[in-house]
Amino acid sequence: MATVDDPRQPDSRLSKTNRERLVAVGRHAALLVWSFVVLFPFYWIVSMSLKPPRDAISLPPDWIFLPTVYNYIQLLQQSSFVNAFFNSVFMVSASVILVLLIGVPAAYVLSRYDIPKQRDVLVWILSSRMLPPVAVIIPFFVIFRALNLYDTRIGMIFMYITINISLVVWVMKAFFDGIPETLEEAARVDGATQFQAFRKVILPAAKPGIFSVAIISFIFAWIELLFSLVLTNNNAVTVTMQVYQFIGVRQIEWGMLAAATTATIIPVVLFVIAVNRYLAAGLSFGVVIKE
Amino acid sequence: MSTPTQTASQAPSGLARLRELWNDYLPYWFMTPMVLVMLLITIFPGAYDLYLSLVKYQLTDPNTVGQFNGLANYERVFTSGGAINSFVITITFVAGALALETGIGFVLAALVTGVKSDRMQTFYRIIFIIPMAVAPVSLATIGRIMLNTEIGIIPYMIQQFTPFVAPNFLSDVPLLTVILVDTWNWTPFMFIIFYAGMSSVPKTLLEASRVDGAPLWRRYVHVIIPYMKPVLFVAILIRLIDLFRTFGLVFSLTSGGPGTATELVSINIFQTGFTFVDLGGAAAIAIVYLVGIIALCNILIIKVGFEGVWD
Repeated sequence: MATVDDPRQPDSRLSKTNRERLVAVGRHAALLVWSFVVLFPFYWIVSMSLKPPRDAISLPPDWIFLPTVYNYIQLLQQSSFVNAFFNSVFMVSASVILVLLIGVPAAYVLSRYDIPKQRDVLVWILSSRMLPPVAVIIPFFVIFRALNLYDTRIGMIFMYITINISLVVWVMKAFFDGIPETLEEAARVDGATQFQAFRKVILPAAKPGIFSVAIISFIFAWIELLFSLVLTNNNAVTVTMQVYQFIGVRQIEWGMLAAATTATIIPVVLFVIAVNRYLAAGLSFGVVIKE
Repeated sequence: MSTPTQTASQAPSGLARLRELWNDYLPYWFMTPMVLVMLLITIFPGAYDLYLSLVKYQLTDPNTVGQFNGLANYERVFTSGGAINSFVITITFVAGALALETGIGFVLAALVTGVKSDRMQTFYRIIFIIPMAVAPVSLATIGRIMLNTEIGIIPYMIQQFTPFVAPNFLSDVPLLTVILVDTWNWTPFMFIIFYAGMSSVPKTLLEASRVDGAPLWRRYVHVIIPYMKPVLFVAILIRLIDLFRTFGLVFSLTSGGPGTATELVSINIFQTGFTFVDLGGAAAIAIVYLVGIIALCNILIIKVGFEGVWD
């Protein structure tokens, strides 16, 4: 990796190495401070969820304590929470599969064919991301009630698709642009139909891109609160909605609240750690692709 | 998708014709579902919002629902003060959070890129992106616990280890608190994109400027930042758009309060529409907000983006 900023002033040799060492120490000190800022809230919420209710909120805190899973057992007995958790897993996964089925082929066409007003089409697609969800939700609220889609999983899956479609199309177009056209031409010469060339040659080559948009789409749908606040009530309630209700309505049991929060963040955090290599490509709409 | 597949090996003539249709018009089949979804999610809400904004749609008064209302809903937006106030708060929030996230993200990316060992780079990179995975509502819960004046660890530590008196974060400095929490949440986004961009600056360019004896800051101003321009632009544009969409974090952290101190436009629309069940009024605010955001984004994308980044 390039060492971007080590100042090399003309200087004696000894003081130069000293200076470099000082810069390195300062650099790591700054990075460790930020690491602490990032990690401390996680440490705090997890440790709180593992303390017995009596000690959860005591200050000064017990830095050393005997962990207990009491809060988690309490949480698992809340069937509404468990249901909402699996509801979210199902709805979010289904929406990611559908949004890929809709968005990836379209991105392929936008990359390979001359579409009239191509630029306008791309900006139009991106514009769906500029619409604040809260402005979009009012029409959908009215129409969902009319069509009996209110509080259904199908309705929520559709709303999740609306969040991610522009992301999928933009990132995948950038990926397809990077795949040489000679690849599919060769397949066509060998007698493959256009669709076969797409399926057997182009899709495998675009796999890293598909993987990265799938991850990002999953996260964006998973963290959504507004849609379930307005469009669900019982059947299609999400896990974020459950956490929200924990803060709002009930008398606060801090330990259980900490356990619920931990339950919603740990799976996604582990997921992100596992796939961190793919995140940059997906997040930047394809402008930054290769390291 | 109701498109024919091509699994049949000995297709009868009807199926063969379908297969031909499928292959000859492939681009159309591929585009249609996306275009349908896009029409549904852009044209429909926009048009419906426009319609709602021009009629009475107050669910507390079902008899008048749907009556043409002229521009009365808009008049209320511009005279009530609540909406105007929320526009100002939103701009403050977006500007503050965007500045902090861009600045910290850039510095972190520069620091990590300079780390000599690849393994340590990976270590920092993984740690720094983690906050992005936390759902706004979960983060709001963590914030409420850690910032609470009675049980919160952060006020406690400020009292113990510094000479300062801890403010009551959520009631004394609510907007600043919201900005800081959002910064914790989303600096990773800026960091990871800047980091990828910085790693792709060609080494030869850096070497050349180093041989010339350019000081550190000049290397950034004249080499690294110009090279990263597309990356900086896209990251800032996307973050800007997303900041204007912010809802979940602020809604679950402060619900817009105390008073209206953190009432973003998105919260104002939500409350007008679903707390006061005045969908017409909410739609009018939404239309004004939409027009503003789309105008801003179009200026940025067309004037800056296509000239510097995509063409």
